[in-house]
Amino acid sequence: MKRILAVTILLALVLGPLSLSARAQEGDPILIGLQGPMTGDFAYEGQGFEQAISLLVDQINAEGGLLGRPVELVIEDDAGDPTQSALVADRLVDAGVVAVIGAYNSTATEPASEIYNEEGILHITPSSTATRLTEKGFEQFFRVCFLDDRQALFAVMAMADVLGAQKVGVLHDNSTYAQGLAEWTRTYAEEAGLEVAYFDAINPDDQDFTPTLTNIGQADLDAIYFTGYHAQGGLLLRQTAELGLDIQWVMGNASNNPEMVEIAGVDAAAGTFITTEPLPQDLEYPEAVEFVEAFTEAYGEPPASVWWLLAAEAFNVIVHAIEETESTDPEVLAAYLHEDFADYPGLSGPIIGFDEKGDRLGTIHALYEIDEEGVITYYPEQPQPEAEEAEADA
Amino acid sequence: METFLQQLINGLTIGGFYAVVALGYTMVYGVLKLINFAHGDMFMWGTLAGWGLLTTVFAGLLDLDLIAVLIVAIVVMAFIGLLGMTIERVAYRPLRSAGRLSPIISALGAAFALQAVARNVSEARWRTYPEGLLKEMPDLHLSGTVGLSGLQILMLGVCAAVMIGLYLFVQRTRIGTAMRAVSLDHNVSRLMGINVDRIISLVFFIGPALGGLAGVMIGTYYGSFNFTLGWVFGLKAFIAAILGGIGNIPGAVLGGFILGISETMVVAYGPDLGLVDASAWKDAIAYVLLIAILITRPTGILGETVAEKV
Repeated sequence: MKRILAVTILLALVLGPLSLSARAQEGDPILIGLQGPMTGDFAYEGQGFEQAISLLVDQINAEGGLLGRPVELVIEDDAGDPTQSALVADRLVDAGVVAVIGAYNSTATEPASEIYNEEGILHITPSSTATRLTEKGFEQFFRVCFLDDRQALFAVMAMADVLGAQKVGVLHDNSTYAQGLAEWTRTYAEEAGLEVAYFDAINPDDQDFTPTLTNIGQADLDAIYFTGYHAQGGLLLRQTAELGLDIQWVMGNASNNPEMVEIAGVDAAAGTFITTEPLPQDLEYPEAVEFVEAFTEAYGEPPASVWWLLAAEAFNVIVHAIEETESTDPEVLAAYLHEDFADYPGLSGPIIGFDEKGDRLGTIHALYEIDEEGVITYYPEQPQPEAEEAEADA
Repeated sequence: METFLQQLINGLTIGGFYAVVALGYTMVYGVLKLINFAHGDMFMWGTLAGWGLLTTVFAGLLDLDLIAVLIVAIVVMAFIGLLGMTIERVAYRPLRSAGRLSPIISALGAAFALQAVARNVSEARWRTYPEGLLKEMPDLHLSGTVGLSGLQILMLGVCAAVMIGLYLFVQRTRIGTAMRAVSLDHNVSRLMGINVDRIISLVFFIGPALGGLAGVMIGTYYGSFNFTLGWVFGLKAFIAAILGGIGNIPGAVLGGFILGISETMVVAYGPDLGLVDASAWKDAIAYVLLIAILITRPTGILGETVAEKV
């Protein structure tokens, strides 16, 4: 047993450097890693990542590859688990990948990002939104999704530009997520010159919100933004109707769930707005339409989650950086993304660029409305954040 | 003034539900000196059973929703009543002579077991009662925007009927007299020819049955629930029972209304007094109120001080 182990180690020592030196040779594949939950609770998302990216890899290889070399995707399963994540990250480093896309959830992305940072590998997460991930000063870490404050900005623009509201309210449920989003909303609303005439929280354990709703009715608001979860969202809508109050509700993405309409009842829910990440098929950008079509053709149905599209987006960003710099050195690629990468026509809309922390500028959120049948539908009139924000960031 | 009236109505409605659930705690405590922690989850089972019946067996009868809800409420009361008797027989009676701690632990065990089963039955999802249930009843407009919906009137009416009915039952009937006797002293009651076990079983039927009724009412009124409903609501109702004087039926009712109205008023007027995030303060103030009343009246508002038996 010991002897087998010794031989294995010896082989690894001899072959390891060989495979590394082989990597640099012309014509050998460029390895790109995908780390995600292929099993476990989020397996659905991880498998979607794989489908979305494989599609693009096949397209590139069919067209002659990248810098004349084929692209190869190395897939590792972290099951959404932080312990697995670190092991998987080591394995991808050993495989000699240039860049890694992943992981799905912030909990799994965090330990992996430490390892990729140490090893100097370009790392882009398509879907992890925890703020602290980009607070560590990692030069080679980026994300193509958006932080919570972007949704707040979007909600403010939706209320001001689309609904024409002047006097708004914000309601949260004291959870970390909802409170953060609510506070960002208040900040941005005040910056935009709106009057925030009501700011309060509910206790999500309660069943009866009529005292709070009576207060909101008294405040005589043009619109109110609720940042909590769908079960309470449904109860709020139902009890608003029961009290006979005329309140224009706008719900955050945690309430984007058909179950909310079920809890509220169709009549009470109709006319409510929701800000959320759009469904892939609702994206109007030509790049998105093309991708959704190709995806549907390859797999028989459109991508079910926007995170799949963002995984493909992360891959495209890496490919674009490699093409522009004609380099596979992660350091060069990261420098390019920080400094020169701008106004790229992304699948999820134009990517204005990345800030110094590696966060994506702009927003992906879209405005939905619950229609008369209780269906959550894409609202024809959308706020136009890109232009405004480009100005603000310039 | 209008807002105050509306908030008062809001508080009365919330308090009415607390009161009906509190009755179950207070009755059981009256005869056994046991805090039946499983009561909240039995009440949640009432909501769950009502949902199960209304969305399956009675789904065809929803055009006559008042009759459907009435039948469902009776079936659920019988079911939860029998469930209560079973729990008493299995989990409490064997421990009746084992001191005061063991039955309480057993009650907590029963609560968690009921909650775990409900979690699996409901698949841990929010479940909704059929839409528009009892929505067609006439509203009562008081003035301007203030008013009671037909459903609210019905709920408050049922609450009142249950409380008065129960009070009369306990005070005016032979069985009620026997219950009061058992609550004073088990052994002496036995000497007077009262079948103590049967009376306790009966209490464990009536208390949970009322919980089951409250469960169906809450499901109908709020339209949705999940398996944690019993824990949160049960805790508030338990506080209401203590507040009013546990073991005392009018006390439970009074406690329920005081708790419901004071909670509502904190949310309603807290922000005016500079309380940021009043709904989080609401619970803090409810508990401070509880402590204050217990310090001044250790047996609750209507609780009687019973002389120590020597």
